[in-house]
Amino acid sequence: MGRRRRRQPDPADAARALPEAIAALSRTLPAAPSPEIFRRAKFDRPEAAPALWRLLFHVLSPLSADSASVSFTLVDGPPELASPIAEAQVRWVKSVLHSQGYPRLALVQLQDDGSQGGRELLLALAWLLARGPLPERLLTQSHVRLGDEMPVCECEALASPGPPAPRVEAEGSVDIRHLQWLMGKLQLRWRNLMAGQQEQCALLGKNPWQRIFCSTRLSWNLSGLQLLLLCGTCPPADLPAPQTQIHSYTRGCHSDRSLGHLSVTETELLRDPEGGRQLLQRLETENARLEAALEWRHRELVFWRWMDTVLDTCPLEASPPTFLPRIPEPGAGAAGLPVRELQALQEELQALQEELRKAVEARRAAWQAAVGGHGPEWRAARRALQVAVAQDLAALQWAWEQGKGQARPHGPRRLVRTEARVPGRLGLWATEATEALRAREACLEAMLHQLQGQCRQELARLVGVRPGLIWVPPPAR
Amino acid sequence: MLPAECSRRLVAELRDALDSCAELQRQLEQSLRVSRRLLRAWEPAETPAPEPTPGPEINEEAPSSACPPSPQDLKELELLTQALEKAVRVRKGLSKAGEGVKAHSLKSGSTSPATRASAPPSTSHCAGSCAPGTKPPRGIRHPWVPAKDLPGRRLLLVGDGAHMGKGAGANKPEAGLRDQQIIPQAAPPVPEAFTLKDKGALLRLPEAFRKAASRNARLWAQLSSMQTGDSVDAAAATAKTQFLQKMQTAAGQPGSRLSSAEVGRLQKACSLLRLRMREELTADPKDWTQEYRSLLTLEGLQALVGQCLHRLQELRSAVVEQPQGPWPEGPPRAASPCGGGADPMWSPQLLLYSSTEELQTLAALRLRVAMLDQQVHLEKVLMAELLPLLSEQEPLGRPWLALCRAAHCLLCEGGQRFLTVLRDEPADRLSPP
Repeated sequence: MGRRRRRQPDPADAARALPEAIAALSRTLPAAPSPEIFRRAKFDRPEAAPALWRLLFHVLSPLSADSASVSFTLVDGPPELASPIAEAQVRWVKSVLHSQGYPRLALVQLQDDGSQGGRELLLALAWLLARGPLPERLLTQSHVRLGDEMPVCECEALASPGPPAPRVEAEGSVDIRHLQWLMGKLQLRWRNLMAGQQEQCALLGKNPWQRIFCSTRLSWNLSGLQLLLLCGTCPPADLPAPQTQIHSYTRGCHSDRSLGHLSVTETELLRDPEGGRQLLQRLETENARLEAALEWRHRELVFWRWMDTVLDTCPLEASPPTFLPRIPEPGAGAAGLPVRELQALQEELQALQEELRKAVEARRAAWQAAVGGHGPEWRAARRALQVAVAQDLAALQWAWEQGKGQARPHGPRRLVRTEARVPGRLGLWATEATEALRAREACLEAMLHQLQGQCRQELARLVGVRPGLIWVPPPAR
Repeated sequence: MLPAECSRRLVAELRDALDSCAELQRQLEQSLRVSRRLLRAWEPAETPAPEPTPGPEINEEAPSSACPPSPQDLKELELLTQALEKAVRVRKGLSKAGEGVKAHSLKSGSTSPATRASAPPSTSHCAGSCAPGTKPPRGIRHPWVPAKDLPGRRLLLVGDGAHMGKGAGANKPEAGLRDQQIIPQAAPPVPEAFTLKDKGALLRLPEAFRKAASRNARLWAQLSSMQTGDSVDAAAATAKTQFLQKMQTAAGQPGSRLSSAEVGRLQKACSLLRLRMREELTADPKDWTQEYRSLLTLEGLQALVGQCLHRLQELRSAVVEQPQGPWPEGPPRAASPCGGGADPMWSPQLLLYSSTEELQTLAALRLRVAMLDQQVHLEKVLMAELLPLLSEQEPLGRPWLALCRAAHCLLCEGGQRFLTVLRDEPADRLSPP
């Protein structure tokens, strides 16, 4: 059966298409103003500017969680009634756009109080939308997590700083002992964190009849006994602690067979109906936004045509002669990148190169010494190996060129307890993720030791010039 | 004392690290609180909300038309809750008296399982008709007090989500209530608060929630499949690229600019290369093919590193040439170790584990890697600040020695161990500073 021929577009449809597209966009973005604001922005009306600044702020902020945007969502009423955007936030938006490579200078020339520039902001928003799947990314960030999530890569373990939070200005000079104290505090916090994490895992999935023997690799800094205590080993039966497993006890409850058991979130919603209602509401909101995103994807073509006209109404930008080029300071560089960062990267690459050079020299020498005695089949094998290695390295290079993780697990995943090695289960096995993390751990440890060694050498050099001192290193572990 | 600028930077870095840790700790404590609470006995919820099922008519087949429930029902419910709480106290004393006595009193006091099993359909049906406008979760706002199971018997829960599997539970108060009215003197059914251990397998998620969740999954799947284009998508993609080009040319800015994406790629390249090198160096070649292969790989890695360095040099020279614009200085953006390879689209991904040890090992390892990452970063920052300081300062006084010793501790021992400095003078041995 052939495809149904699309009927000729109706002019009335065309007139409706743009407002509908913009409406879909405004429904899917967090804290988006009404479609009317977008129209006014094209004509650079002043009331459009604050709303669009706010929108950009929420879109760019990595912490654009639901709770943050809720306070800014304009449900009804004219935008000028909403709280004005702060100057610091305006500057932050400008700097983030710049670091992402925003080409137009007109943006930075806008006032910091956020009262003008509707059209420019509209262009900035369109620029962000054109560069990548922005609504989808935002939805992923604010996605309602129904399972017990655990990210398997460490990039989400530590929160990244978002927009500049109000920070108490640090005092002037401090004693180095203050730094030592802060370091100690940090280490203590890490220990508490590790212990707490172990307990959480036990509450999720511990078998009450097994003792927990944490692997010996975990016993850094702590003696084995301390670690066992911290891990909350399964006590003998007479202790009253309810060491039970949430995952195991809710087995068979989930309507989704592939999951099999409830998560903490789901169980909590059963226990606490009020919380359950709120969770349901958040789910429904997300569903509405998802539908709007789908609609937007269908209709966005007409939006881009409209944006072309907006761009045309802008006066051509003069090249920036009014701003004298500032001499780049040693601490700052273009595009918001400190030169320091580039320097650090260069040093890292150079260190890597040095290490590789030494390794290659040693191995090449050993190889040359041993290579005698291979026959003609050796040549064919050698060629095959060369091809294989070249392919391997090309894949590696592609991994960072394309910006895709090299098949490394990424992103938080829902924890599911299941019988060992049932074939056909789609998902990442904890054992495999552990292997990948161990490799990374070894790498980081090596890097840390190398850096520390470097410091030792440097310090030895510094104190070596002063005779008359004996430096007694601490006893080795 | 350290100079002000240096102090400020170092203290800021350490405070950032401490704040990140504190944030993690806070999240962890919250989830611990939730998990612990779930594993304890669940308390009865306070119930000002009306119970959708009416009281004593429960065993009649005709669904009751009393909705919303009358104030009298509410009062009865309150009385029931008080009575049941009292019964819990009584039970604590009774439990000493032995199991057999309890079972006996239960049998006499409560309805038989047969009626219990038949009642849920009418209960849920009633709930369905009684509460057309209210959301289903309201159905569970009742005293969560199912009667204690007789040993070995399991309640049959007909699964309509409107009661979230607590149909039997809802039944109990009614049954108990009836008993109360008919036999005020008999021991009420000894209630026991719900524990996940005993009855976790009986829970069912509410219908509305399940629907919303499945709709959510379906919408996400649709959105993901939209990425693989069709004709509409291709047209939009070209429109977008054209728009971007127009923006670029209309801007009047000279040439291409250094973007943080490029540097991010190089950083990612660096970490991937290092990881790969580590793998090759620690691998144990078994025969000459493997040896040769690892040699080739290392040489290839060396070439790639050379390329990256070259590219970096190019970028740096480009940076120096360009004038600094009037853009405000933003906060330095930390490069994510995973290099921004995050999938922009959510998709349901599972992490499967089969034993607690696996989960604990994974979690601990993840934290350890994060901690190491932070340590490496701090080490670099400290090195950058402290080493120049030490080499600049000349006076060989106690302050300088103290600084050296502290720097050694921070930089070389991770802040954990100190070395001792002895002044070696033949005339008199001074104690360590």
